[in-house]
Amino acid sequence: MENNTIIEGDIIHRGAEASLIHGFWFGKEVIFKKRYPKKYRIEPIDKKIRVSRTLNEARALIKVKNYGLNVPQVFEIDVNTSTIIMKYIEGEKLKDSISVFDNQKKYEIFNEIGRFIAILHQNGHIHGDITTSNILITPNEDIFLIDFGLHEYSDSIEDKSVDLHLFKRVLISSHGSDFNICFKAFIEGYLSSYELNCSNEGKYIVRNINSIESRGRYVKQVERK
Amino acid sequence: MENEEGLCLGIESTAHTWSVGIVDFSGEVYGLVNNTYIPEEGGLHPALVREHHLSNFKDTVLKALQEAKCSLKDISLIAFSQSPGLGPILRIGSLVARLLSQLRGIPIVGVNHCVAHIEIGRLMCNIEDPLTLYVSGGNTIISAYESARYQIFGETLDISIGNMIDMVARDAGLAHPGGPKIEKLAEKSNNYISLPYIVKGMDLTFSGLYTAARKLIESDEYGINYVLEDVAHSLQETSFSMLTEITERALAHTKKTEVLLTGGVAANKRLQEMIKSICEDHGARYEVVPLKLAGDNGAMIAWTGILRFKSEGGFDLSQTNINPKERMDNISIPWRK
Repeated sequence: MENNTIIEGDIIHRGAEASLIHGFWFGKEVIFKKRYPKKYRIEPIDKKIRVSRTLNEARALIKVKNYGLNVPQVFEIDVNTSTIIMKYIEGEKLKDSISVFDNQKKYEIFNEIGRFIAILHQNGHIHGDITTSNILITPNEDIFLIDFGLHEYSDSIEDKSVDLHLFKRVLISSHGSDFNICFKAFIEGYLSSYELNCSNEGKYIVRNINSIESRGRYVKQVERK
Repeated sequence: MENEEGLCLGIESTAHTWSVGIVDFSGEVYGLVNNTYIPEEGGLHPALVREHHLSNFKDTVLKALQEAKCSLKDISLIAFSQSPGLGPILRIGSLVARLLSQLRGIPIVGVNHCVAHIEIGRLMCNIEDPLTLYVSGGNTIISAYESARYQIFGETLDISIGNMIDMVARDAGLAHPGGPKIEKLAEKSNNYISLPYIVKGMDLTFSGLYTAARKLIESDEYGINYVLEDVAHSLQETSFSMLTEITERALAHTKKTEVLLTGGVAANKRLQEMIKSICEDHGARYEVVPLKLAGDNGAMIAWTGILRFKSEGGFDLSQTNINPKERMDNISIPWRK
């Protein structure tokens, strides 16, 4: 009996875009990720965004899972209520747990994240919102990447650089004191994965980050190169 | 400190507004006079704006002193907008500030324009530690205080929201400034035309949206299948939804409990309504800076000048060079802990 039921429990997280509800799905411990309508948006925009992001995220999760990367497994999708039912992952956000690690551990974790993202990029996936809130560390210290709502398919260097640029910005703004060690480790991991596949693209992508920054607002001329 | 009781004269000169504000050290605004350059056609040509400011600066300073019922003798600090902005225009602000400072032997401080927007907002709305959405003709920034800086969590990767709306307005044949006119037109329509919605994490871009809106105006169907009101409505709904989405994301990310809306575009009622809605959803306090102090003004420069002067003292003349490209997150904020 218990194995045949879908139980929605409590909201465990209210994010900007969606709420995460803990529950059970045919005996499996799951998360219901629901994108509720936003009052501030007019209906056509709201509907478009909720449906496209739900489908987009579910498709991306399924594809990415195939590369053996740690992302939640998708069980069921309901477009009408823009809900994704996916495997519950026990873990803590990197944002909250980063301060407990020593420098060596930080280096290892960010190196690993770098390789993770590089595999995504090499397969033409852009996460679109890599932040320390979207990376989970499980008790076994496995790294999970979540929230693929802004995922895109792209093989362009530009899109991949933007992805890295956004992560860099999050590290600067939220983890300023750890930025140097973390970003260095991240880039090293990222490049090492590309090098494993004898690809030069990684270098171009990393170099292009500077070019994106220089297009931003208020960048000194000296940095514009 | 000897200067504890006194008045600060702040000069704002980053773009089309030449403004002089007189503020005392407790934060009370005694005088504020704006003199805004309005182009007859097209946008803001820096050389023409410069001419405008050069020929009006004296009158504006005198008027502000008159409004504050004081004279230059009562001024104990000069503050000016040092960064960021249009070079030729910033230069005039710094020139006048240095001139007054040298002639009268008054200490001088330079102020970052974006920081000033946040500081006057904190003062006027009596708000302690807000997440700030600063939207204007030159900037689109989501910022909050973290590790001794006003960190930028999200910003536009190309043009600013105000600039984008003004350009669409100009293409549609509306005179500068186009923002308020687009807002009026948008109220009259409910017909949404799909436009590109581009959010990249907490950053956004408006150039694609601008091109799409321009194409709508240039299209053969314009005036037949839809009218300017519809374009205005769609443009506002799309761009403001983008802004609100990233504000909400930054709010969830930073876990701040207060939101401050400022800048010239903050005057838009529809944007206010949207930001207010997410604040209610997240139980955050919502404040919008009063219109007169939300746009570019000298009072915010004066007040931020006072804060900097109190914590670091006056600048050497060698420190008063302008810095048109300075980012807000490069500047230390010693008065906050």
